[in-house]
Amino acid sequence: MDARILLVEDDPSIREVTAIGLSAAGFDVATAADGVEGMERFLAEPFDLVLLDIMLPRLDGYEVCRQIRRTSTVPIVMLTARGEAMDVVVGLEAGADDYVRKPFEVPELIARVRAALRRANAGPAGETASLRLGPLSIDVAGRTVARDGTDIPVTRTEFDLLLELVRHAGQVLSRDVLLDRVWGYDYLGDSRLVDVAIQRLRSKVETDPAAPELIQTVRGAGYKASR
Amino acid sequence: MLSGVRGRLTATIVALVVLTAVVLGVGAYVFVDTRLHDQALREAADQAGFDLSVLIPSRLGDPPTDESMRKLGDDFQRRGLDTIIVPPSGQPFATPGTLTTAYASIPDSVRSLVDRGQIAYAWQPLAGRSSLVVAGRVSGTGPAIYFIRDTTAIDDTLAQLRFALGAGGILLALVAVVAARQVARGVLAPVQEAARTARRIAHGDLSARVPVSSTDEFGSWAEQFNEMVDTLEDTIVRLEAAQTQNRRFVADVSHELRTPVAALVAEVSILRDHLDSLPPESRRAGELVVQDVGRMRALVEDLMELSRFDAAGEQVRAEPVDLGRLIRDVANARHRDAVLELPDDRVVAETDARRLERILGNLLDNAREHAPGALVVVRLRATADRIAITVADRGPGVPLDRVDRIFDRFYMADPSRRGGSGLGLAIAAEHAALLGGRLRARNRDGGGLAIELLLPVTDSLPAGDPAATPGDEPALR
Repeated sequence: MDARILLVEDDPSIREVTAIGLSAAGFDVATAADGVEGMERFLAEPFDLVLLDIMLPRLDGYEVCRQIRRTSTVPIVMLTARGEAMDVVVGLEAGADDYVRKPFEVPELIARVRAALRRANAGPAGETASLRLGPLSIDVAGRTVARDGTDIPVTRTEFDLLLELVRHAGQVLSRDVLLDRVWGYDYLGDSRLVDVAIQRLRSKVETDPAAPELIQTVRGAGYKASR
Repeated sequence: MLSGVRGRLTATIVALVVLTAVVLGVGAYVFVDTRLHDQALREAADQAGFDLSVLIPSRLGDPPTDESMRKLGDDFQRRGLDTIIVPPSGQPFATPGTLTTAYASIPDSVRSLVDRGQIAYAWQPLAGRSSLVVAGRVSGTGPAIYFIRDTTAIDDTLAQLRFALGAGGILLALVAVVAARQVARGVLAPVQEAARTARRIAHGDLSARVPVSSTDEFGSWAEQFNEMVDTLEDTIVRLEAAQTQNRRFVADVSHELRTPVAALVAEVSILRDHLDSLPPESRRAGELVVQDVGRMRALVEDLMELSRFDAAGEQVRAEPVDLGRLIRDVANARHRDAVLELPDDRVVAETDARRLERILGNLLDNAREHAPGALVVVRLRATADRIAITVADRGPGVPLDRVDRIFDRFYMADPSRRGGSGLGLAIAAEHAALLGGRLRARNRDGGGLAIELLLPVTDSLPAGDPAATPGDEPALR
């Protein structure tokens, strides 16, 4: 694997050791020490994935994420020191696909990076070209969602989450299952990521996100797409 | 109205006023009654004595003729006196004639006294009117003459007096009630004001003070009270400031430690895979570094978790949780050797699974660290009104006087033992409180420590759950 990764992290020790670990795992790593430098590096050359610390000097991780998202669908994994629900919400709103809590062990980070890359590269598997969920039509190959002919902008993760639910419409999927299938890693105790992503998705596809009809919560069990 | 000091005070004042009014009223009435009757009797007796001995003998023949009796009766009637003249032999002669039959109702005691020549009297209703009868014999031996005077006027006067006294008494009682309530309210106002103030203080408003509005006993009492609150407020403010400072320090320290710890964790995660390639003399040091970074990470994360509780920004996300399954999962991850005693039926509680996992995980970690190798039992019991999850070990237990302290931060039952951060049980207790429950610990019979998590039973517990018989206290011995 020779994927190019941009690592934006202000702490020199963490930046260096993470870069060492990623390089040893076969990735081609470029680093930046703050948000502005990170944007410059990102615009200068193509990357397959961006690892983004949130607390960065000059330009914070959320803002870097938003700026990247204006032009690119590159997978973005946030490195959050706090791991609080609010940070996750803001990160996902800014367009991040996943987040890794600090402190992290390098092998764990590498697993998450690989999962994110795998998802990004998973092409259309020659299945039904289009699925429907109520008024939504989901173009699997083109990875787009439209309501009554109007495109709804969704991130890669939101699309994958929606696709997973629609493929099993009427069936309850637990948070752990969704974490495994959409984010591609085992349950690590942060199933709130799923809740936040579901909320984000609802705010885009539901008519009234406060009273969701398409994606329903099954208390104590998980979520399901209405049939 | 009679309840409370105010009611009793009012009742006492009213009772005193009414009693005084009754005593004075009855006294006055008896006095007037006696005086009126005495006066009437004295006048009547004087008149009778004079008439019988001086006036009548010359005018009434002996024996009296009908003509003389009628004339005499008419004369007395003109003076306002009715008479019955009883000759020694013959029929009583009454003026007016309607009184003739009334003679029979004059008491025998009066008649026999008169017969013996004495002057006698009786208060006696005659012919439907209240009357005073005074009688005697003319010159002591002649015909008996009964003088009858109408005393309705006396009765009327007394009736008016009774009415006046009664009405006055009732009015006085009413005035007394109103006045007594006012007095009671006035006397008790400072007490009620103080009660209100105390309630505000109890609800956390330390700025509340009792108004000092007088210089009497209540005034000085209010001053003392306020002084006490001042001291209390000072102490609480000082303690709170110290605690806030303390907590901020812990939060700052753990915050500052976070980045270096994150770097260490990442570094050690790479170092760990290459320990074997280190020269033997530094390999052991490398192993210890890996281990100690893990301890430091746990400590810093625990400190940060406690700081979040202190910041009171924690929220509970409750949903139906299958407790048996959760216990199995946590035990599998944290203490594979633990023996689980779970009820056959599913126990579902409305609670926050993440926090419950954290509590149980910390309790199991604690059991593993303090009772290494010993049997650990996790028992779930659900009764109608609560759920108890107990983690019991067969370790050394905790000295009796320190059982309550094991939930304090940094409390170590055995300071020589190095293991967890000393914060695990404190964190578990904070989570338990957030879930509406609590942790309690006790030494088991036969050695070992049992820590019990008590959770409230919520509505979502399905009917027909293993609701044990009431009083079946879940307990491990």
